[in-house]
Amino acid sequence: MESTHPISWLTVIWSMVASACLTLALVHVAIWFKQKERPAYLLFSLLAGSVGLMAAVEFLLMRAETVRQFGEILRWAQVPILILVCSLVWFVRLHFGTGRVWLAHAVCGSRALATVLNFLLVPNLNYREITALRHLPIPGGETIAVAEGVRNPWTTVADVSLLLTMLFVVDAALTLWRRGGRDNRRRAAVLGGSLAFFVLVAAGCASLKHAGIIHVPYLISLPFVPVLLAMAHELSFDVLRAAQLARSLETSESELRENKERIKLAASAAELALWVWDIVRDEVWITAKGRTLFGIPRSERIDFARLVSALHQDDRETVRRAAAKSLNGGGDYEGECRVVLPDGGIRWIAARGRVEFEDTGRPVRMRGVSIDITRRKRAELEVQKQRNELAHLSRVTMLGELSGALAHELNQPLTAILSNAQAAQRFLEQEDADIQEVREILADIVEEDKRAGEVIRRLRLLLKKGEVHYVPVGVNEIVKDALKLVRNDLLNQGVMVETTLASNLPLVQGDKVQLQQVLLNLIMNACDAMSGTPPVERRLHILTEAVEGDGVGVSIRDRGRGIPAEDLEQIFTPFMTTKPQGMGLGLAVCRTIISAHGGEIWASNNNPDRGACVHFTLRPAGGGPE
Amino acid sequence: MSQPVPTVFVVDDEASVLKAVGRLLRAAGLNVVTFSSARDFLQHHDPDAPGCLVLDVSMPGLSGLELQRTLSALHCERPIIFLTGHGDIPMTVQAMKQGAIDFLTKPVDEGILLEAVRSAIEKDRAVRLKRAELAELGRRLAALTPREREVLDHVVSGRLNKQIAADLGTVEKTIKVHRAHIMEKLKVRSVAELVRLVARAEIESAPRT
Repeated sequence: MESTHPISWLTVIWSMVASACLTLALVHVAIWFKQKERPAYLLFSLLAGSVGLMAAVEFLLMRAETVRQFGEILRWAQVPILILVCSLVWFVRLHFGTGRVWLAHAVCGSRALATVLNFLLVPNLNYREITALRHLPIPGGETIAVAEGVRNPWTTVADVSLLLTMLFVVDAALTLWRRGGRDNRRRAAVLGGSLAFFVLVAAGCASLKHAGIIHVPYLISLPFVPVLLAMAHELSFDVLRAAQLARSLETSESELRENKERIKLAASAAELALWVWDIVRDEVWITAKGRTLFGIPRSERIDFARLVSALHQDDRETVRRAAAKSLNGGGDYEGECRVVLPDGGIRWIAARGRVEFEDTGRPVRMRGVSIDITRRKRAELEVQKQRNELAHLSRVTMLGELSGALAHELNQPLTAILSNAQAAQRFLEQEDADIQEVREILADIVEEDKRAGEVIRRLRLLLKKGEVHYVPVGVNEIVKDALKLVRNDLLNQGVMVETTLASNLPLVQGDKVQLQQVLLNLIMNACDAMSGTPPVERRLHILTEAVEGDGVGVSIRDRGRGIPAEDLEQIFTPFMTTKPQGMGLGLAVCRTIISAHGGEIWASNNNPDRGACVHFTLRPAGGGPE
Repeated sequence: MSQPVPTVFVVDDEASVLKAVGRLLRAAGLNVVTFSSARDFLQHHDPDAPGCLVLDVSMPGLSGLELQRTLSALHCERPIIFLTGHGDIPMTVQAMKQGAIDFLTKPVDEGILLEAVRSAIEKDRAVRLKRAELAELGRRLAALTPREREVLDHVVSGRLNKQIAADLGTVEKTIKVHRAHIMEKLKVRSVAELVRLVARAEIESAPRT
């Protein structure tokens, strides 16, 4: 051994390889430590560590002084080889996800067998006997120790193990390649290729050497360098990806925070209460604003029943039903309800929510918002009140105009009653009074009295300033009732009434009194329009029919002057009138009423007949107004 | 002259009122016939039957006032009592101008109605009596020969027999014979009676021609 060179290049290369391997091993241990769920890192770390050890072993072998020393070192070399092979196989299996498991077991089993044999045999598995050490000179003036001896036949076990390893790696890389995809193929080519190269060179070299065909030192660590590079390349990809992930995570986190802030700001600006109902656990999460809204203490746990119990008694069932409907497939919830405040006042709350369903269709949770709409509701109620008052006022005015006709409606039964009663008195005064006749008269009196009562009841209904009740009503009945009230008026004006009332009409949702008011108004308008029409042509036609969407349409057709085309829409605006003594409120009130019923009202001119026609539509019962 | 029992015709589209008013009038011992429309009445009533008409003003189709006009055009002078639910003044005036006996507001008390019906029947009876007398007068006048008619005109205008004979180019004696025939045919005994009779015939027939 020469020591003229301060540092031999052999020392430099092997120690570099060893330290590189160990560094990589340490790095991967560190990575594994952070991600224990990925044992591939630990396996690679073992692989690199064992190659590092192998580099040291190789270096020692090259520097061996005696045959015994060489044999002993070679014997111990089997330990890093065992670790190397096992970790290699399982690393490939875990990292690629390919490679046959039975082959992996076979590799590990055969290698373990070789190691055991190695420690049973003297001097080692590879040689039955080492006869001599040759010191081969290499460029640079150094020499390396190479053993000469008899090949141990048990070495075949190690060779088989190497062959299996080779097979396993190639098979795993090919399977990965065949799976396709750019990333898979790159990994198969780079890592699989380098590993295959490593196994091929290291194993081939060792086998040839043991067979005495070539005389070279053991070369296991050097062919591992490409694997090192490939793995470092892979690792850099991972690190890069991790950095990218971290960055995007940071961005999305800040976005999330930003979104949260925005929602919070929007919610507080709009005075919205946010809530989530966990349906499975029946638990309601609600913002502080929401707790204030519903009057529920800050710390109290809320379930659905608790939330409902916070509502006005009359609204609880409605809310329960609406919630059940949205859970049973409707999905969307929308409703208004009242909360009774401690001071007895009423707070109106509007809520909107959406149910989230599992794939199985089971509702999981409902998210939503609630808002205080007390002010809007009060304004609405105020408007409704005013609207009703206006309708009432115009009704009273209209009845004033109708008073003559209405008096007549009362007069008829009163006339019949008076004459009947006086006739009865006369009959009874006669000596042989006809009791049967008197009985008939009394029955008629009762009948007529009822009729008079009915007229009064209808009148009182129209004059009443009551609340508006939207109930299912029959349009044909309303038409007939209205005609009864104006019958005499029509008679006096010489107006003939024709009705075409469709049978089997659906009921509509409406207030009887207000709808009758609309009809009376339209009928009286039609009569007024015909005051200039020759008496024989004064015809009023009222038609009812079913319209699209289960609604009902009503048309009132006259044979009057008609309406100038430019006024067809104008006539529904307040204080617009074509009549000399009209207030111009009738049709405006009609439109208000029909709109409140969710219907439409419009006018047209009859072609080719003369006159105009006013149409209106009403929604079917069950649809509900507004 | 014996006349048949007067009939009260009642026309009202309102069945209950028609029935009740009919009953009341019948209970008061009157002969009543009811119709539910003006057209029905026109088609079925007997214009020669004495009595009056109780008529509702507002009815669909032919109204009360229109029926009044139609009857007038048909020279049917049956007295009419109008019944109305709400008598406005223009309508009342028009009805009275067209010769209505009365205009009663519903509901009508029996006293007022029966009084109106009685006076209407009375008026109808008087009219019919007068018309019968006139008819008799007409018949008598029609029995005169043209020459006798000529002589009558001169007698009524107050001329003496002598003057008439001169005017007609005949002798006084002939005029006297004519005059006796006239007095006999017209069933009068004095010239004064004769003048009164002719004056009445002329007044009554004047508006008709």
